[in-house]
Amino acid sequence: MNNGQDFEVKERERQIRRKIFYLTFAVLGLILGGFLVWKLSGLILPIIVGGLLAFLFRPVKERFRIRWLPHELQVLCSFAAIGVALFFAFNTLRKHIPDEEQKLEFRVRLQYKLNEKYRQLVAKSPEGKSNAVVPLIEKEVGPVMDKINRALELKPEERDLFLKYCAGYNGKPPVEKKFFDYFRANQNAGRYVIPEKPPTEAVPPSTAVAAASTSPTPAEEGTSLESKLSAWMLAPLIFFFLGFDNGQIRRFFISLVPNRYFELSLTVLDRLDEAIGNYLRGTLTDCFLVALTLTLGLILLGIPVGIAIAIGIVSGLSSAIPFLGTVIALGIGVGYALIAENIRPLIPGLNPNDLALYVVILIIITRVLEDVVFQPFVLGSAVNVHPLVVIIAIVSGSLIMGLWGMLFAIPAVVVVKTAVTTFFKELKDYRII
Amino acid sequence: MSARKLAADKLLWEPLGRWKRSSPELGHIQFLKTVPFFDRLSNRQLKSVSAIMFERTYETDESIFEEGQPGAALFLILDGKVAVEIYREAGTTRLAVLETGAFFGEMALLDDTPRSANVRALERTRTLALYRNDLNALVDRDAKTACQIYRSLAGMIGDRLRSTNELVQMKIPADEIALG
Repeated sequence: MNNGQDFEVKERERQIRRKIFYLTFAVLGLILGGFLVWKLSGLILPIIVGGLLAFLFRPVKERFRIRWLPHELQVLCSFAAIGVALFFAFNTLRKHIPDEEQKLEFRVRLQYKLNEKYRQLVAKSPEGKSNAVVPLIEKEVGPVMDKINRALELKPEERDLFLKYCAGYNGKPPVEKKFFDYFRANQNAGRYVIPEKPPTEAVPPSTAVAAASTSPTPAEEGTSLESKLSAWMLAPLIFFFLGFDNGQIRRFFISLVPNRYFELSLTVLDRLDEAIGNYLRGTLTDCFLVALTLTLGLILLGIPVGIAIAIGIVSGLSSAIPFLGTVIALGIGVGYALIAENIRPLIPGLNPNDLALYVVILIIITRVLEDVVFQPFVLGSAVNVHPLVVIIAIVSGSLIMGLWGMLFAIPAVVVVKTAVTTFFKELKDYRII
Repeated sequence: MSARKLAADKLLWEPLGRWKRSSPELGHIQFLKTVPFFDRLSNRQLKSVSAIMFERTYETDESIFEEGQPGAALFLILDGKVAVEIYREAGTTRLAVLETGAFFGEMALLDDTPRSANVRALERTRTLALYRNDLNALVDRDAKTACQIYRSLAGMIGDRLRSTNELVQMKIPADEIALG
């Protein structure tokens, strides 16, 4: 065997060894990755949130690049600017966050107003006649109202505290008399559905023991909260460290790619980055526009500025969840409209008693604006996802990760769809498949 | 010289200097200075260009890119040798052999039109690749540097166009030109 043949044989053996090594490494990597995902599932969400924030922050960082300043210092300056902006935003919002007294007052008002509206709904005429649908409403809505009442009613210690606030407590002036009247009315509010069986005998001892064993003790709850908080500490850390990245992570991953796929991987990564970035930033702009429209609309309807901003922000953020966003906005908006008092609409000719109806109309107008103007303008046809896929994704997201799952369902679908289509297109263009 | 300063030199500054001299980034910058494409750039500009380049190593006979594939990057040969070839049914035509300091695939910096030839490593070859979209991003970040690279590219394309025109004129007989 001459030297050339010997070299070829050695080269072939080396290739086989390389393939075995890569295969073993990939299998081990997959097993380890799967194990880590399973064991550290609580960390996934903070990591995703931190990564997304860093992704959204990148254009800001790029925009404020100063040539003569070192990269790390530029990032620190950007972080400082964001920190200052957030500090002022939170400081402004904090004034509108209700304190202990306002929370109690809000619950009392909400319970009273809901009961009042329900009683108006099922009220009989002066002649004692009732509408044909009233029995149906009583049958269907009555149990729901009982549940709401149970959820809203103050616990004994909260009742004591509220009574203290009514008399003036903690250096605060006494609560308005009408709220005390509401409180008393709530105390006297009867149940709309009479329970069929007394609840004490219905629970067998074994079930009671099981329930006791499944419900977490305060100590367990504390530990769980601590672990959740410590997991969420990861989000800002990831945001911070990804913020300092100057393309090193991308270069590292590209360095692992075989030469044959070098240009392909660069192109795929770039297209993915562009598509997902456009989608996320577009969605964020869309949420902001929805929030702004609703806030302005609610202010025009006479709702106090702080509350209008709060409802606008929550509804705007929830508009990122297709279909369900509108339902959430309706729930919050109409919920507040039902308990609102002393409303003076800025638009002349509006009847404050019909506030709930106006809020519904405002939300419908916002929804139409979002569909017809905002989304085509900010998102264009960047990512078209079939409505059926949207519904399935939202339901699946909610089953896997609850509210967060619903929020991230569509971005996840967009990422997967863009990745798959771009990858296959580029594989064909590069004549690999 | 005091003992403290000697110790500081031995323990800190000398290793730091060695590390700086041997750092791959510095090597890339020194190399880029020798490439006509980047000869107008200052050290600072070369540093920002070097930061967006990818070093790739190709084994003997390994394909760097193939004819018809969408172009995405310009390649500079750090060391080694490559062949630019066209494969046809009649056989392989070798258009050029490029060595250390040469570059190829420069049209990919303009758009993703398909590569016009195959490039294959004739020996173990180290290259530096400049990806089109990274250069586009450099326009936003450091417009002057990007502008100078594009100017070099335009000059080089102009030179090639001139030499192609001369080649065409040489191949077409003078009387045919006169007939129009």
